Amino acid sequence: MTDAAARTNERNQIFRDLFSGKTPKRVPISNPATQDFAIQHAGLDLAECQWDLTKLEPVYDKFCQDFYTDTYPGGSIRIPSHYQILGSTPIVMSSSGFMQHPDVVGMLAEEYDQFIASPYDCIVETILPRLYTGFNGEPGKVAMTLAKAMRAQSDDLAYLGAIRGKMNAKYGFATMIGALTEAPFDFMADFLRSFKGISGDVRRYPDKVAAACEAVLPLMIKKGTLPNPSMLGYTFIPLHMAPYLRDKDFATLYWPTFKKLVETLASMGQNVQLFVEQDWMRYLDYLYELPENTIMRFEYGDAKVIKEKLGKKHIISGLYPVTLLQTGTKQQCVDKAKELLDILAPGGRYWWQADKSIIHLEASGPVVENLKAVLDYVHENGTY
Amino acid sequence: MDSKYYVTWEEYLAEHPELEGKPQQAIAPKIEKYEDAMFTFIMDLLL
Repeated sequence: MTDAAARTNERNQIFRDLFSGKTPKRVPISNPATQDFAIQHAGLDLAECQWDLTKLEPVYDKFCQDFYTDTYPGGSIRIPSHYQILGSTPIVMSSSGFMQHPDVVGMLAEEYDQFIASPYDCIVETILPRLYTGFNGEPGKVAMTLAKAMRAQSDDLAYLGAIRGKMNAKYGFATMIGALTEAPFDFMADFLRSFKGISGDVRRYPDKVAAACEAVLPLMIKKGTLPNPSMLGYTFIPLHMAPYLRDKDFATLYWPTFKKLVETLASMGQNVQLFVEQDWMRYLDYLYELPENTIMRFEYGDAKVIKEKLGKKHIISGLYPVTLLQTGTKQQCVDKAKELLDILAPGGRYWWQADKSIIHLEASGPVVENLKAVLDYVHENGTY
Repeated sequence: MDSKYYVTWEEYLAEHPELEGKPQQAIAPKIEKYEDAMFTFIMDLLL
């Protein structure tokens, strides 16, 4: 067995233990920096590298060599080619090369009934043509545009998958697979009604919002289902809108279908990782109700209270403030890692991740050195 | 899922009588795979 294969086995066991509620050999670590960061770290042009993926293999090699992590770092779901081919308005590349998501309205308020009657038909016939110009026009042209876009995405994902395979073979990362879905309420908000739109709908048409969340739930479950549920796979669910809702709206409109989603995925033997965005401190009692060993990566909140309320049932992650890597000294960054390790690691059920992903890199700033120091510190001091 | 844009294998088979007597155990996974690939692609455009 090669050293890398042995490292993969060791890391896989750590995650198997973590996900099943056992105390692992040590605290597992995921580098929070993204593919965008990796390209900038390699000193290459962000836009060019995302179009010409052949430039990415040395980028990832340097990235994996320079920063400690137990899981494959980077990755991207926002590859520009198919968005460009489809004439995307909700996902666009900025002049600096970052893929951005402007606030868009894919569905009008008067289209709730159409959506509730058949969400997928409404998506195909009404929402996508509004958001992607490539879905408009002569049927033959639309069909060819769709075929080109799907082929482009498939090629890009295959290429990125091949790089990932090479890096896993060289660096021995844990072999985890993932799926992506959303809480039904967040799905209604993000690309369909927009932040402003859904905020008004909650007051004007709460019954329709609730019915739409129920209607779209089967699609969200299907989207989040892994081909082969495994202890080393998880469904990633980023949570967006709850902190902006009144308690009673959260209880009636957000929580019921979100809870069903997580419970259904867990009942299929899948792990679920929530990215608990913004501040969910007032909802901790709700989160406690979710199936045992749900992974919760928090953005903000009181680590002690979170550990106390959720840490015996669920897997806690996040909370490390990436902004500190930009503003703090190396010692301050390491001290913060120690503080969180002391609070969250005892008893297991802790996965070191940061509070958010690192996308932008200021070449002359301290982030690279501070991030390296923090990852190394947790690796060297996270042993149980 | 009740949609004219997503068909199960059973629905597909009912619409394609020419598959009678063909190796359906080999055909079904392939047809289902691309049905699901299209579903995933479409939904990813809204995530």
